[in-house]
Amino acid sequence: MENKTMKLVLSGAPHFVTGNDIQKTMGMVIIALLPALAGGVYFFGPRALLVTAVSVVSAVAAEFLFRKALRRETHVTDLSAVVTGMLLALILPVSSPLWMAAVGSAFGIVVAKELFGGLGGNFANPALVGRAVLLMSWPAFMTRWSPSLHAAVVDATTTATPLGILKLGGTIADVIKSVGASGKSALYLQMFLGNRAGCIGETSGLLLLLGAAFLVVTRVIDLRTPVAMIAAVFAASWLFGRDPVFSVLAGGILLGAFFMATDYVTTPVTPIGKWAFGIGAGFMTVLIRQLGNFPEGVTYGILLMNVVVPYLDKIIPRKFGFVKPRKVNA
Amino acid sequence: MNLKTFRGGIHPPEHKEPTRDLPIEHVPTPKSVVIHLTQAIGAQNQPLVKVGDRVVKGQMIGDVQACPAATVHASITGIVKKIEPAPQSNLKDGMAVFIEADGTDETVYMAPLDAFVCSREEAIKRLRDAGVVGMGGASFPTDVKLAPPADKPIDTIIANGSECEPYLNIDYRTMIESPADVVEGLAIAAHIVGATRAVVAIESNKADAVPVIEREFQQHAHGMHMETVLVATKYPEGGEKMLMKAVTGREVPSKGLPFDIGVICQNVGTLKAIKEAFVDGKPLIERGFTVSGGACKTPKNLYAPIGTVIADLIPDVIQISDDVRKVIFGGPMMGVTVPSLQTPVAKGTSGILFFSAAESKQYEERLCIRCGRCADACPAWLMPMLMNAALDANDANRADAIGLVDCFECGACSYVCPARIPLTQRFKLGKDLLRNQRAKEARHGK
Repeated sequence: MENKTMKLVLSGAPHFVTGNDIQKTMGMVIIALLPALAGGVYFFGPRALLVTAVSVVSAVAAEFLFRKALRRETHVTDLSAVVTGMLLALILPVSSPLWMAAVGSAFGIVVAKELFGGLGGNFANPALVGRAVLLMSWPAFMTRWSPSLHAAVVDATTTATPLGILKLGGTIADVIKSVGASGKSALYLQMFLGNRAGCIGETSGLLLLLGAAFLVVTRVIDLRTPVAMIAAVFAASWLFGRDPVFSVLAGGILLGAFFMATDYVTTPVTPIGKWAFGIGAGFMTVLIRQLGNFPEGVTYGILLMNVVVPYLDKIIPRKFGFVKPRKVNA
Repeated sequence: MNLKTFRGGIHPPEHKEPTRDLPIEHVPTPKSVVIHLTQAIGAQNQPLVKVGDRVVKGQMIGDVQACPAATVHASITGIVKKIEPAPQSNLKDGMAVFIEADGTDETVYMAPLDAFVCSREEAIKRLRDAGVVGMGGASFPTDVKLAPPADKPIDTIIANGSECEPYLNIDYRTMIESPADVVEGLAIAAHIVGATRAVVAIESNKADAVPVIEREFQQHAHGMHMETVLVATKYPEGGEKMLMKAVTGREVPSKGLPFDIGVICQNVGTLKAIKEAFVDGKPLIERGFTVSGGACKTPKNLYAPIGTVIADLIPDVIQISDDVRKVIFGGPMMGVTVPSLQTPVAKGTSGILFFSAAESKQYEERLCIRCGRCADACPAWLMPMLMNAALDANDANRADAIGLVDCFECGACSYVCPARIPLTQRFKLGKDLLRNQRAKEARHGK
């Protein structure tokens, strides 16, 4: 017989694996974030790109160096740190000092992710942890907003976000005036397109939905959580007497719902858990907007829900074969 | 068209083209065979022959008075050279009878038996005497399967022509080349269990087999209601429980058996063997299987005696390339890798795949990123990522609460996992862990 020396490998079934791996999945998320990033550059200028680049480089470097220091295998090629860096930049004001962006993403990567074992071990979204820390440490930088370059009315180098105007006691009419819109529906349109003050990547609902649609079509994300979160924001805002459409379009709801509340590692895997997570995050966000110190609450709303994920994952769906015994006709 | 199917499953590349249109080729009678005494789920058989005995093709050589078990027969005529353990495709290295051919083609088959005239007991005995087992891979004794308890009436029997494992085409070729045998076998099986509905379920990628099968209904249905059902091409559509759900809408209850929902499912190859056991009196001593894979230079559909050692087919019947790294008995999703080419074809061997180095790549396992693809793919609607997390914490009871024992190890979760976690393997081990924990608890009087 030939091949006497042939070495055969033994392995458990299956002997087949999909081509889709973590790197490809993260690559899809990066592609989906590009429209929002492009929007950031369009509305707030090329500095948006600079902030993003610094944040991404810092995230990747932090992960690489941390794992090197611990003599563990580095996994930066899985692109998850790139996603974290991008996400953090998109939820920073364009005027953020570059060192602050670097600190935020390095903190998110090292403290929120690597200290828990790296990708898959973290319980909270690293980008949101990074932002929360920056917001507590340098609130002045984190609330210094530049107007959109394409705003109809520009009377200063800094301005307030639509939610900021409300927090300071303003009304929707003041917001309409601030963007130079002709009325409520014109305001909605301006906000949907992204022509307003806000974080780099959060302003344009249109561009965020474009990216989200890509992730839905390619089946990277599940729609349950974002739909639940947006619906909860809508409903809770209405209950508190806030304009529900405005509330969904303002702040970081769409970015949070489609790109943060869908983060695999830090959100539930069970179907009911996903609904509950979305509703909880949306409701907490509105509560913070209504009662808290800050005008916006998406970051804390999602982070708070991250903590209860293990409980939401206990709601196991029906398994195959768990039906009432069938009566067989004899 | 709206094809019937189940929820979950995956669409791996089919790789069926190389052998799809190749007729089943009968291999020349081998000079020797290695026939394992126990080839089915159930009790261990005892040899009925001694070293030095002359055995005739078709003669029973292994049996045990226990249920369930399946008899085994000599697949060639010759002399018993030795009876000792040999490499087996289930990796158990069980006792085997080594037969050396004496060059004669004498056979000793049973007398034909009319399944539609004989008693139910006689029919069940015939299946047992013929050693018929499920040929889709599970090797469950057919006499046991077709004799459900009296309080579990069967109304539907499904001929499983779904063959959802990539690469394999033997069931498809059997339907195309022996449709009359398949339909006759289906009629016999339906008659034995008293089913009133007989369905041939065929995956949509094999739709051309539908008219071929339907043509035989006229002559071989024996007045029974027969139909074909086209099911979606998806893995594991041919899984018994999945196919039953797709065809009848009924779910086999957890920890239950198919007869609990009045359905029985038989692989089309098994149905052909049933027909042969009755009409020809021939026991299950030969079978068809697909030979394929990237390191196989001669993809083929073969028909060979049970006990044919793969090494003996090389190089006259099969040629393999030097970079072969894996030899898989069965399909790539549920098949078993064997350590040696000295492994013989068994009753449950539906395919033999030779995988090249490129096809045998090993991946680095990462932490679960909880993407949920395993849950989407799981045909048992389990949450593999949570079971994996529980087993990581050595908590078999928690894994069980999530559904560990309802996993039937189809491999879909491992296939889709982007973190390359060998989930299916983990669950196999987890079930052992659970059994051990339960045994320990029982010992401590818990």
